Parts: sequence; structure tokens; C-alpha cells
Amino acid sequence: MTTETLKPASQAPRLRMPSAASTNRVRFPGILRSEAIKLRSLRSTVWSYAVLVLISLGLAALMAATLASSIEGQVPAEAQTAIVMQVSSFPVALGQLVAAVLGVLFIAGEYGTGMIRSTLSSVPRRLPVLWAKSLVLFATTFLVGLVSTVGAYLIGSPLLAASDVAAPLTDPDVLRAVVGGALYLALIAVFALGVGTVVRSSAGGIAVVLGIILILPTVLQLIPADWAANMIPYLLSDAGLGGLGIESGTPGGLEPWQQLLVVLGWVVASLSAGAILMKRRDA
Amino acid sequence: MIEAQNLTKTYGAKTAVNDITFTVRPGIVTGFLGPNGAGKSTTMRMIVGLDRPTHGSVTVNGRHYADHSSPLHEVGALLDAKAVHTGRSAENHLLALAATHSIPKRRVHEVIELTGLQSVARKRVGGFSLGMGQRLGIAAALLGDPQTLILDEPINGLDPEGVRWVRSLVRSLAAEGRTVLLSSHLMSEMAVTADHLIVLGKGRVIADAAVADVIGGAARASVRVRSPQASVLASTLASPDVTVTHVEHDLLTVTGLDAGAVGDLAARSGIALHELTPMNASLEEAYLQLTNDDVEYRTGSSARDLEVTR
Repeated sequence: MTTETLKPASQAPRLRMPSAASTNRVRFPGILRSEAIKLRSLRSTVWSYAVLVLISLGLAALMAATLASSIEGQVPAEAQTAIVMQVSSFPVALGQLVAAVLGVLFIAGEYGTGMIRSTLSSVPRRLPVLWAKSLVLFATTFLVGLVSTVGAYLIGSPLLAASDVAAPLTDPDVLRAVVGGALYLALIAVFALGVGTVVRSSAGGIAVVLGIILILPTVLQLIPADWAANMIPYLLSDAGLGGLGIESGTPGGLEPWQQLLVVLGWVVASLSAGAILMKRRDA
Repeated sequence: MIEAQNLTKTYGAKTAVNDITFTVRPGIVTGFLGPNGAGKSTTMRMIVGLDRPTHGSVTVNGRHYADHSSPLHEVGALLDAKAVHTGRSAENHLLALAATHSIPKRRVHEVIELTGLQSVARKRVGGFSLGMGQRLGIAAALLGDPQTLILDEPINGLDPEGVRWVRSLVRSLAAEGRTVLLSSHLMSEMAVTADHLIVLGKGRVIADAAVADVIGGAARASVRVRSPQASVLASTLASPDVTVTHVEHDLLTVTGLDAGAVGDLAARSGIALHELTPMNASLEEAYLQLTNDDVEYRTGSSARDLEVTR
């Protein structure tokens, strides 16, 4: 054993933590803050949210302009509300793809880079991480979703007003489209988070989620059987978009609250599967 | 204090760690050695609960890692310098980890300074060199001012100054009474850093002893002899207990006799000697002998041949 040359005192490692160790416990608010830092400190998430808002505003403007130019004569009040609803929430149909990708990446990105090992070493009970991620993702996506749908309403309304089509934001149906659209985006993101936890791969997770949102409805429509047609209203995207005034006249005829329950069911299923596997598997 | 009891981990048909029991004591630096695939990393991952043992258990200061209320204060681990999201800056990475334990921002900046990352702290980790990645991993391990440090290959990719810094860091941490478990493939570094060694081979503990005992017990000392009549000397020395290796045309390495005995034999035969140097076995030799035996018994591979031709 050789003797070690000690570093000068000024350079000696300062190892002691100034604050008392007993206050530095793992607590849920801390885990929430940690996940919030993670979400906002990646360029990919910031860009995805920006894209979500921008395509919403762009699509709303495009759709409102197209509708306004095709309208001739006086539109009945009820139809006016329906048009405003569509303009406000139509961007959600595209925005859900961005929310889905975001949800998958929020966890699969950690598995892909190895970050998950740092995360689970600092929170070895593991599940609080998944709950914190869900809450942070839900809240952020809901807020950004609200900016998108309210923004879509604000951009679309003046264009539609030129053709004498108008409905106030406070109209219950318009409010449902605006708030419901944001809620749906947030729930899709959390659903995708659950899938990403199960699959642990960005590419695989995105494929599964987009398959469920985009391909499953088409496949069921192609099957010439009653059971297939009966299942369509219970699909994630059909139930989610059905209440927003986009998919008009769904055959199953679910009430909006039932549609919300269907979406929640999908979210609970994917998060539960993710939680069970996250707890059980080696990281 | 880390205590492993009958720790076993199997992945399908493959046994990575096979029923090992050991204790890592506080106040000293314990080196963790073994060839690739010996089970070192798996064992370290089980200590911090990333992998679940198939059988047995491992505790840190009497509890399973996950049962501690403040895990980062209990154990700081550098298991894999790549356990970082490449798209995030070093500072944000540390801030996110610190937030889970409500560790103040001040402490984050302290470990950044401590590991010399100030100039790159706001850069994305994806662009980091191996050495900077290691420094970040060490910074993360120190974040909670931990009682126990587990460092897997911490000097991999570090410059000489960084290597020296890690050495003095772990020695001073151990001197403060903390527990330090360190793995490295660099035997010369391990020899000057560690006090105690646990050597794994094929998932089993093949040595658990003080560094001096490992060197003394496993490898036989040898003697370097230079002589213009090397071949004659070699045949003079030959006996069943003595191994003579020709290193160069006039240079021999002799094991099984001490320098005095070699000199006496040469004098008796009238052979001139130009050099007679007793050689202490190095940790590297001791280690290779330990692990080669292990490999040999289990797979009959030619690891020893590789050593000879080296």
C-alpha cells in the first residue's frame, strides 16, 4: 500500500451535506418535482407540446375557413353550436397522436437510455415513480390541451362569425368539446405511458399505441360481424372523440359520461399492467 | 456494511451469481474483482434492488435497500455511467435525482464542483466523453452524502488526474468510516486503492481476504536471473519443484527457488551471473492465477495459454 499524497485543504472533497440527513427522505411531492424537472428538461417534450398547440391552431383556422366558405344562408342555432364544437375539438383527432408519442417516450426514453436505473435507484419502491409520472404528464398535457382547444375556438370563431355562425364558449356543448378535448389528450398520454412501461421500448410502444388508436377501429369496421360493430363504441379513440362532436352519430349511442368511463377503463388497464410489470421485473 | 447471504441470481438457464455470502465492512475500501461475466455487476445491481435475487438476500446496514426511508443517503451507486438520459443536461439530471429526496440545489452544485463538471453542467449528456460520463455518475453517487458507496469501474475512461482523484476520494470516504465497494479491471490501481478484496469467478466467491494475503497466498514469488550461460544455468536449476522460463536469450525467470538458492547453485557450477533480482508477485499475477484456476476447472479453456504467450 503506497502512502497517498493528500490534496490541499481547499481542494479536498467536501462530502458532508449541510442540511440534516433526516429531512432528505423520499417523499411523494419530491418525486413529483423530480418528474416535472425531467419532463421539462428534454427538448423533445418541449417541442412535442409546441407542435401540439401549433397544429391545433392551424387545423382550426383551416377548418373554420373551409366551413365558412361553404356555408350559404342562415344556419340553425343548434347546427351553429355543432360547427363550433367541431372546429374547437377537431385538432384533438391529430393532437392525440402527439400526446400518445409523448406518453410513450416519457418512460420508454428512460428504459432506452438507461436513465431508469438512476430513477429506480433513487426511488427503489418503484411504483411512486409511475404514479408521479402519470400525474405530471396528465396535468401538463391537460393544460397544453386546454391551450390548444381554447386557442382553436378563439381562432375559429371570428372566421365562422363572418358566415354568421357563432356559439359562446360558455355553451355547455362547446365547453364539453373544449374541456373534454383537453381531458382526452391528457388521458391518451397517460394510457400511452402505461403501454410504454409495459413495452419498455420507444418504437414498440409507439407502434402499439398508434395501432390501438388508428388501426384497431379500421380493422373492426372491416369485419362483417355484429360483434365487431358492437365493439367499436368501446374503442379508445371512438369513445374519446365521440363525445367531442367529431364522430357524429356513433352507432352504439353511448352517453358522454359513459364514453369518459370507457376511456378511463383503457387508462386503468394500461397503467395497471405497467405497474405490475414495473414492480416485478428487473430494471 | 453490506451483507449478502446465499445470494443467487439466475437468468433462465444461466446462473450469474451462485449462492454467494460475503460482508463488506465499513472503514475500508473493498475491491470487487472477477473476469467479465463473473457476476460483479449483477451482485451490485442486486444490492440496490435493481435486480431481484432468485434466492438469498442482501442488506445494507441491516435492511433491504428499498426499505430505507432515504436510499440515496444510505447508498450512492455508480453502476453504469450510461444510466442517464442523453437528451438532458448534467445539471438537470442531478436536479431531478436530488428532487426525489428533497436534496437542496446547493448540494447539486456542490457535487458538480466536486467532480469538476462546472464547464459542461448545462450541456446535454449525449455529447459527453466517457470520462465526463464517469464524473457525472460519481457526482450522482455522492449526491446524498451516502454512508455506503458502490462504484462499478469508476476510473474507466478517466485521465490520470481523475484516477488519482477517485483514489483519494474513496480512501478518504473509507477513512471517515464509510463502506466502499469498488470494482475495477486495473489491478495496479486496485492494489494501491483497496484494503480488502472479494474475487468472484463464475458466480462464486473464490477469494475474500486482505489484499496482502491475496497476493501472498495465491502467487509464488519468482527470481529474475541474467546470465551469459542462461541455458546451462536453466538445466542446472531444473528440478520437479522449480519452473524456469526463458524470457530472453540471457534472461530467466525462476519460480520455486529464492534468490539465494539460485546464486549458490550458479556459484557451485561456476556460472557467471549478471543480474539476480527477487520479484514479488503482483496483484495482477495473483488475480490471474486465481481466476485462471477457476476458469480452468469449469470450462477447460486455455486462459493460461493466453497468459504464457502474452
